[in-house]
Amino acid sequence: MLHNAIAIVSENWLLLLIGQYPNGPLGGIAATLILSVLGIVLAFPLSVLIALARISRWRLLRAPATALVYLVRGVPLLMIIFWVYFLFPLLLGANVPGFATMVCTLVIYEGAFLSEVVRAGIEALPRGQMDAARALGHSYPRAMRYVILPQALYNMLPAILSQFISTIKETTLGYVINVPELTFAANQINNRLLTKPFEVFLILALTYYAVCWSLTWVATWLERRIATRRAGPAPIGMMAARA
Amino acid sequence: MIQLQGVNKWFGDLQVLADINANVARGEVVVVCGPSGSGKSTLIRTVNRLEEIRSGTILVDGRNIHAKMPAAELNAMRSRIGFVFQSFNLFPHLSALDNIILSPHRVNGLGRAAARDRAMTLLERVGLANRAHSFPAQLSGGQQQRVAIARALAMEPPAMLFDEPTSALDPEMVGEVLAVIRGLAQEGMTMMCVTHEMSFAREVADQVWFMDAGRILETATPGAFFGAPQHPRAQRFLSDLRAR
Repeated sequence: MLHNAIAIVSENWLLLLIGQYPNGPLGGIAATLILSVLGIVLAFPLSVLIALARISRWRLLRAPATALVYLVRGVPLLMIIFWVYFLFPLLLGANVPGFATMVCTLVIYEGAFLSEVVRAGIEALPRGQMDAARALGHSYPRAMRYVILPQALYNMLPAILSQFISTIKETTLGYVINVPELTFAANQINNRLLTKPFEVFLILALTYYAVCWSLTWVATWLERRIATRRAGPAPIGMMAARA
Repeated sequence: MIQLQGVNKWFGDLQVLADINANVARGEVVVVCGPSGSGKSTLIRTVNRLEEIRSGTILVDGRNIHAKMPAAELNAMRSRIGFVFQSFNLFPHLSALDNIILSPHRVNGLGRAAARDRAMTLLERVGLANRAHSFPAQLSGGQQQRVAIARALAMEPPAMLFDEPTSALDPEMVGEVLAVIRGLAQEGMTMMCVTHEMSFAREVADQVWFMDAGRILETATPGAFFGAPQHPRAQRFLSDLRAR
């Protein structure tokens, strides 16, 4: 069984790694990682905006942001994928490729979840930080930009990274709209071999596990490092969000 | 310089400031004292509008800071009033130097080099030029508070407010912070200071305001206040302090 698995990997490693590229769309782990990175990188600024709207004094900003977060949190990711898949082409009047559909979905989904992380980070800071910034004459947006957000986001780094890890696992759902990511590649292999599903999906599971575990390890390391810095005497060079 | 007229403030059903009428003249040092919960900190926080009030006016340099005004104007007014907090509230992600540079640079648009020069001068003045690149977590409480004073001074405010600047400090660090404040008093800075340091008050203050239950019960020179307090509540407060 093990040598079967090894044989499958050695025959299909390129497909697992990059899909049918360059003869077809980029797929495999490469697509999974690109999807995840794009999803989280684009979701991040959106999540900061949603978080700021959520804690705004103005109802006009607060209400829609809160509604969006509650809606997204209360609906399975798969539903959002279908919505984007069927709705966006109607709204745009053009065909939207599966890859773009998946990125849009992840940005909406992760944006909503990350915004709660960011909001928690902002609200966890002592109130004196905002007081001090305002007392010095900073406007609210400036106080946010130069005083509150640099601290909050730095403190939230481990949580943001763990959100990234769950994003990687969520990209598997791209499979249902034929996005050629890692799960899709594994399924192609399985369909070709027909008789070795256990080996194929074992390989798939181990691959996800390896990627996610190493990132979890980085997150833990980061968390410990931040904790030492916060307590400890040596934060020299700590995030140079210079004045 | 600072005129409080008929100031009232409520937290729900609790009146925390009741009919406050008092003046701080230019160059004057006022020490506000009283038992905890008497409204001293709330009072000083209303002077730069970190707290709103229900009624009354607070004139700073002749302008009512509690008037309806555009946010930018309020920010400009605030930047002209230095505020020093009990818990320092330095920005922990910035070095001592960058804590001081940030506001002149970003609020007043002072060039980075000029802001840096000004910050270094101020650090020298509070005796911390050699700690310019330290982060707040690496500084002692006394050092943090001195940086916080330098940070407030960097905006070149005509008046400074101190909200129990030494209450969070270990006893051996109180002196270094009071020395800086004393220096400001000697230069003629207009100041309001909430403090429990009575010997400091006696030495530096031009006026002492004694507060209890949201009211100013007594306004006197330090000589008169410490020598012969008029209000029975003030007498009790001072004898409690001395018994400590």
